[in-house]
Amino acid sequence: MDVFFQSLSVVLQPGHLLMLVCGVVMGLSIGILPGLGGIVGMTILLPVIYGMEPHTAFALLIGMVAVIPTSDTFPSVMMGIPGSSASQATIMDGYPLAKKGEAARALGAAFTASLIGGLFGALVLTLIIPIARPIVLAFGSPELFMLALLGMSMVGVLSGTKPIKGILAAGIGVMIGALGDAPAVPEYRYTFGIDYLMDGIPLVVVGLGLFAFPEIVDLMIKGRSISDVATLGKGWLDGVKDTLKHWTIVLRCSFIGVIVGFLPGLGGSVVDWIAYGHIIQTSKDRENFGKGDIRGVIAPESANNAKEGGGLIPTFLFGIPGSGSMAVFLGGLLILGIQPGPAMITENIDLVYTAIWSLALANVFGAILSIALSKPITRLTVIPFSYLAPFMVLIITFACYQATRSWGDLVALLVMGILGWVMKQYGWPRPAALIGYVLAGNLETYLFISVQRYGFGWLARPGVLILAAIITGSLAMGVFYQARKVSKASAAESGKRA
Amino acid sequence: MVRKIGLGFSVLVTLSFGYGIYEALSYAYLAKIFPLYVSLVLCIIAIANLIQEIRASYRRTEKTAASAADLETEWGDIAMSEVLRKFSVFILVIIILYCAIWFIGYPVSITLFIIILYRYVAGTKWRWAVVAGLAGLGFLALVSKLLYMDWPQGFIMLPWPLG
Repeated sequence: MDVFFQSLSVVLQPGHLLMLVCGVVMGLSIGILPGLGGIVGMTILLPVIYGMEPHTAFALLIGMVAVIPTSDTFPSVMMGIPGSSASQATIMDGYPLAKKGEAARALGAAFTASLIGGLFGALVLTLIIPIARPIVLAFGSPELFMLALLGMSMVGVLSGTKPIKGILAAGIGVMIGALGDAPAVPEYRYTFGIDYLMDGIPLVVVGLGLFAFPEIVDLMIKGRSISDVATLGKGWLDGVKDTLKHWTIVLRCSFIGVIVGFLPGLGGSVVDWIAYGHIIQTSKDRENFGKGDIRGVIAPESANNAKEGGGLIPTFLFGIPGSGSMAVFLGGLLILGIQPGPAMITENIDLVYTAIWSLALANVFGAILSIALSKPITRLTVIPFSYLAPFMVLIITFACYQATRSWGDLVALLVMGILGWVMKQYGWPRPAALIGYVLAGNLETYLFISVQRYGFGWLARPGVLILAAIITGSLAMGVFYQARKVSKASAAESGKRA
Repeated sequence: MVRKIGLGFSVLVTLSFGYGIYEALSYAYLAKIFPLYVSLVLCIIAIANLIQEIRASYRRTEKTAASAADLETEWGDIAMSEVLRKFSVFILVIIILYCAIWFIGYPVSITLFIIILYRYVAGTKWRWAVVAGLAGLGFLALVSKLLYMDWPQGFIMLPWPLG
């Protein structure tokens, strides 16, 4: 408990608060740009945190990732295009509300719900640490290897439209992660004689290439502004009151957000839809959903902020990222010299609590700034994307070059960008590839240690067997549901022809 | 066309995993174990995926075809051929930018890139395009000084903050 409050005093130091606000402002800026979510934001920050003190770097990273689900509401409500994958469902009712002249009410409700959801996520993370401690400490390398495998298999099965492509996408990530020097012996793999590849492709390059580059290309091709509505209307307070009136929805959906954030593979792309689906299923009066029902804004917005707290649980405790942005956060931890996993609880518990406090404070700052700056932000969203794109190219190329400060970074960015764009167009889930890339090193190291320490006996450990059963079950379920979906689609198709 | 590219990408992925196996065989024992088995398993899955895609493209069931577009991307009225054309142009522009960086360095190249895009893509007046370009250069100079960041040097060495 002492450490918990000591961390608060660290978080409240002026330097830390300044960094937190910087992160929050960056998160708000990135959130309003469609398609650019936590992965891109975190990746841009990675070169900045090199050499930083971990508490300060945490403030910057968590400040940013915590508020993206708050500010991505602007494009969702103002034009009906998601600011990030976590705010797709907000469009269903947020955009109709804006068209009715109630954008301020929708935004007021969304920001309040986001704030409560974010605080709920931080609270759950706080409570889970002492409970999880004995379980986490019982995990050895074999179990951690299986857990990484479970994370990847779940990501593969759940993150895309087809499980087989999800698994292959994760595999592409693993193979990219396997480039360069082998961890166990002095051998360079898949370098094609290129010196740059000897250290592997840096995370910054992979993250920006797979995620930022394709979004910039797509927005340039579409060639329009983020929003075409520049007025907010009235009803800020009504929106806040709506959220407080529907407090049970906020709590229920925040809980869903935490669970979804905790499970590897689900993350941002589905959390809002699950919350939205839940609220429709549990409401008696459903006729207004999709036409501007405020509950359809509150549900996804409380869930998508709460998921960040949930996502930090497996990232910190097991070193298994729950989502793409958590994968980049994991890379950030390694840059700072912190090894995520069971050791976080024994050696770096102060950092965990710093992250929790930062998460809570960032949500408060994010909500306040979003409300205070809503008018200028709304005016910003009507700027055509062709004005923003050149600056985004500047930011990603400049950030990318900081990875190793060699030409290889820029060339690799272009190659990764083309790969990411093709993957995006043809239904290969990119988050799976990113998580595969981040976990590749851990997978190999844990496997190596397991075999060295236990021989093949590690396969018979109870924890390994349980996790193997869960992996098999999740893969089988994914394939089963996909087969059912395909057969339903085929039946519908033949029905149409008949 | 769209399906052919999707199928082509699946073939490329399968071949890459195949190459992964071939290349891994030449490594020392401890270096090859992980990539060899990962590539082997993935190659089998990739072949299964390829067979599924070929069968789906024969069936021509739009929604179930493996090459169906990602839900993330909705092009609306824009034809896929137009999308591919614009994508190719964008890549070409980036390659030209890289060539310029190699020759005159990053700051001048990116400034010119911003000015040209503002003038010819966004359609602003020259005056505003130059202001935007200089703003980009100012941002670069500020960030590089504050955060000790570096940028690619060109063949022609220019004084700071131009090179």
